[in-house]
Amino acid sequence: MNYMPGTASLIQDIDKKHLVLLRDGRTLIGYLRSIDQFANLVLHQTVERIHVGKKYGDIPRGIFVVRGENVVLLGEIDLEKESDTPLQQVSIEEILEEQRVELQAKQESEKLKVQALKERGLSVPRADTLDEY
Amino acid sequence: MGVSPSVSPLGQASYIQARWRVAPSPVPEPGAVPALIPGDGRGEGAEGRDGEEPPLTWDTRGHRTRHRRQLGVAPGSPRGEAAAEPVAGSWPCQSLEDCPLDEDEDAFQALGEEDEDIDQFNDDTFGAGAVDDDWQEAHERLAELEDKGVPSRDADGPAGNDGDVLGDPEDALAERLTRLVIEGDLEDPAIMQAVHTRGPTQQPGALNSSIWDSSAVLRRIRGPLLTQEMPSVSVLDYALPQRPPQAREEERDPSERALPRRSSSPIIGSPPVRAVPIGTPPKQAAIPNFNQQILCPKPVHIRATMQQRYPTPYGERMSPNQLCNVPNSSLLGHPFPHSVSPVLTHLQRAQLLGGAQAGRMSPSQFARVSGLVGSPLPSVNPKLLQGRVGQMMPPAGGFRAFFGAPPAPPPSQLPHPPGPGSHLRSVPSLSWPLPGSRCPSLTLPALPRPQMFRPDTTHLHPQHRRLLHQRQQQSRNQHRSLNGSGGDRGGHRSSHQEQIRKDPYANLMLQREKDWVSKIQMMQLQSTDPYLDDYYYQNYFQKLEKLAAAEEVHGDGPKKERTKLITPQVAKLEHTYKPVQFEGSLGKLTVSSVNNPRKMIDAVVTSRSEDDETKEKQVRDKRRQTLVTIEKTYSLLLDVEDYERRYLLSLEGERPALMGERKQKICDMYDNLRGKAPGQDRPSDDHFMQIMCIRKGKRLVARILPFLAPEQAADVLMATARNLPFLIKKDAQDEVLPCLLRPFSHVLYHLPLGTVTSLVQQLTNLPQSAAAPTNLHLTAVLQNKFGLSLLYLVLSRGEELQSSDTNTELIQDNQWTELMLMATRELLRIPQGALAKPVSIPSNLISLFSRYVDQQKLNLLETKLHLVHGIR
Repeated sequence: MNYMPGTASLIQDIDKKHLVLLRDGRTLIGYLRSIDQFANLVLHQTVERIHVGKKYGDIPRGIFVVRGENVVLLGEIDLEKESDTPLQQVSIEEILEEQRVELQAKQESEKLKVQALKERGLSVPRADTLDEY
Repeated sequence: MGVSPSVSPLGQASYIQARWRVAPSPVPEPGAVPALIPGDGRGEGAEGRDGEEPPLTWDTRGHRTRHRRQLGVAPGSPRGEAAAEPVAGSWPCQSLEDCPLDEDEDAFQALGEEDEDIDQFNDDTFGAGAVDDDWQEAHERLAELEDKGVPSRDADGPAGNDGDVLGDPEDALAERLTRLVIEGDLEDPAIMQAVHTRGPTQQPGALNSSIWDSSAVLRRIRGPLLTQEMPSVSVLDYALPQRPPQAREEERDPSERALPRRSSSPIIGSPPVRAVPIGTPPKQAAIPNFNQQILCPKPVHIRATMQQRYPTPYGERMSPNQLCNVPNSSLLGHPFPHSVSPVLTHLQRAQLLGGAQAGRMSPSQFARVSGLVGSPLPSVNPKLLQGRVGQMMPPAGGFRAFFGAPPAPPPSQLPHPPGPGSHLRSVPSLSWPLPGSRCPSLTLPALPRPQMFRPDTTHLHPQHRRLLHQRQQQSRNQHRSLNGSGGDRGGHRSSHQEQIRKDPYANLMLQREKDWVSKIQMMQLQSTDPYLDDYYYQNYFQKLEKLAAAEEVHGDGPKKERTKLITPQVAKLEHTYKPVQFEGSLGKLTVSSVNNPRKMIDAVVTSRSEDDETKEKQVRDKRRQTLVTIEKTYSLLLDVEDYERRYLLSLEGERPALMGERKQKICDMYDNLRGKAPGQDRPSDDHFMQIMCIRKGKRLVARILPFLAPEQAADVLMATARNLPFLIKKDAQDEVLPCLLRPFSHVLYHLPLGTVTSLVQQLTNLPQSAAAPTNLHLTAVLQNKFGLSLLYLVLSRGEELQSSDTNTELIQDNQWTELMLMATRELLRIPQGALAKPVSIPSNLISLFSRYVDQQKLNLLETKLHLVHGIR
């Protein structure tokens, strides 16, 4: 059944495992159960995967309903290839800790940068509305 | 004013069991502001005593006001608020002694009269915006129903609660809440918990409490009570079929509007107000009242029990599809079985069923439209139905849903909705006679078929519809022959089977819903003018088709069956918008809305005075002028390019007119390019040069050239050649000149030798006056890629002409020969390093040069200009 040849339609993707990247930077992995015309998604057995460096950690989340406008991209996960990844899975606490550390480091560097620019009389406008990813 | 007072005082008054009685305390307490006296919300006062003041009540905003139904004052109006202020100041009497009872009455009445003067018969209350529903009567009717409803409930109700409703306020409240809340909130066991304190088991999931804390539950309970009290009337009819529907109908109509209709003024000319957001799947169309009241789509997905919140291995769980096959499932029963020991009352069941049906009919309108009929596929429909709601099998047996097979009366007996069919037939572009497809619903026969508020482009083009049908056929075939019959789809189906086996949650999104979504997507592809709306896709599509046709011509074997997505053209429907006129108004009141936008700002263009302009401004203006000219010419060009297509589409009679238009436009373009002829023979290239300095201008010229007449094209070419060094300098950043090469070469192809000769002259600026030591013009040309390429082209063309045509006139020949001699001399002189790399080297240059130079020099030239292919 070829729905709408030549277009990008999510109908073929239903009931398959997907990885969804959201605008706020989160990565969700779940089974796509339902869609609508705005590409709002219903993800089932969703797991939020946090990546830091070579490690990742999964937080089970349950059912997600994602508003379509917040999706950056999504793609089907090949179940066979899913397991051979160079990344190492760690526990949730550990990955959260790593994430915190990473975020802190980033904030530090950002602060330094802003300071340096300020000293030179330049200013970087705060990009509040930019997507986080 | 959005909410009329008809809803909340009623709700609050009845909900809050304590009743405030009218306490006429005409003598205010000493030193105090006259107490705000809440009146009797039930309105006994308002109705009973005509001559007296209606008692003070609370309106929606908590302002003390009077219930002035008779007098026509909208509560909450400024006057009403004024009335709520401390009245002491406005009283004629200042002290207690001076205000005996009678005078107080007068005072009150005086207030009333003042109110009357100002706010009588206001539009929102009495005019077009008012809704003629008397909330008091409605409330009393409801109260009656309540009383009647109590004895009719049998033992199926929550255990042991058939007693006097009024005697036990808690239970009564619980009952009413149950009835009201079920409708939208069934899937939330937490709500049920709060209501049935004795009944269902406590769901042990810890997450319940975090999300659904009591305040939220109560809030939710309050909400439906206030706004959805009315639906209980209609829903009762499900559960109590013995009640004749007709008797209910007229009572129902006014009471069923949860929210009063807004006054007409704000929405004149706007798109129809939808209580249900546009994005939701269409509900069962036969129950319009639900549509109006239920502000959010009713999800019929009943999710897994709370215990299964976290993912557990698939094998241990029962899929929603499997649950319905469980033997003890009550899913397969009759809609109203008495044998099942349910937690739900008849009413609740009915509500469930109604809810399920309503949600079930999510693509019902669509189903009708597409001709998907329920009854021919009895095997499919109940399965789909049950699959949806079969999840509700809590081990502790909390509450069980049961949904019967399609309702007892066979669908064929239900009235056929002619609505969608006729609606469709009115569209000229689609003649798609629909069978009046049936809607398996528990429609009460008395309800009229509603209007379907759909815009005209919601009808699918026949080709799209065919695509959809094909898919449906395929899906039906799949469903039907799940047992392995049917060879060609065997493989596909086994994976389908596997899928079902491994993934119990598969197919939560039904085929209908998938089709519904894709139908929306296909609808979006329909347009009234695809070439305008979707130009690039149309071109791309045509290219693809041409390729496919070409491949086929070459005999590539069996034609590959490729379904291509078409964007069909739908006939444009003329909507003439007529602005609303109010009767009895002086003059025309214009209401600005979506369909009738009004100019809000009058932007006046003021031209600047010439004196103040500085040089920079002038330059800037000139550039701007040029840009404007370019844009205008571009529009002309796009039109001209489109004429071919229009020509093919047009009728015979129109064609000459089209051709004339096209010619005219081409002339206009040329004029734009060269500047308006001042009567002379194009004295200045200035205008043209300005255009050529801008990148877009160069591209424009390149695109226009094919359309110009040969003389005009040659003219353009000449102008370019004449001013080439200047252009080269200006083009240093853009490097767009090479785009002109191809059209130039086309033009050259048609030029006679004389023109070519003069071209060469222009290009090389030969013969030169003796005073100039170096040929800067030629140097510049040779050093530039475009220049050199152009030169080669021209030379090549000349050579072509020379060699082919033996009868050339001597004069021209001489000119040419002289020119060539000079040119070759120059070429020899120029150092090799200075030469640019041309785009292409025509092959006949060797023969060209061989005429004019001897062998030695020829060799030199060859090496210098890389004329021999081997050297490269």
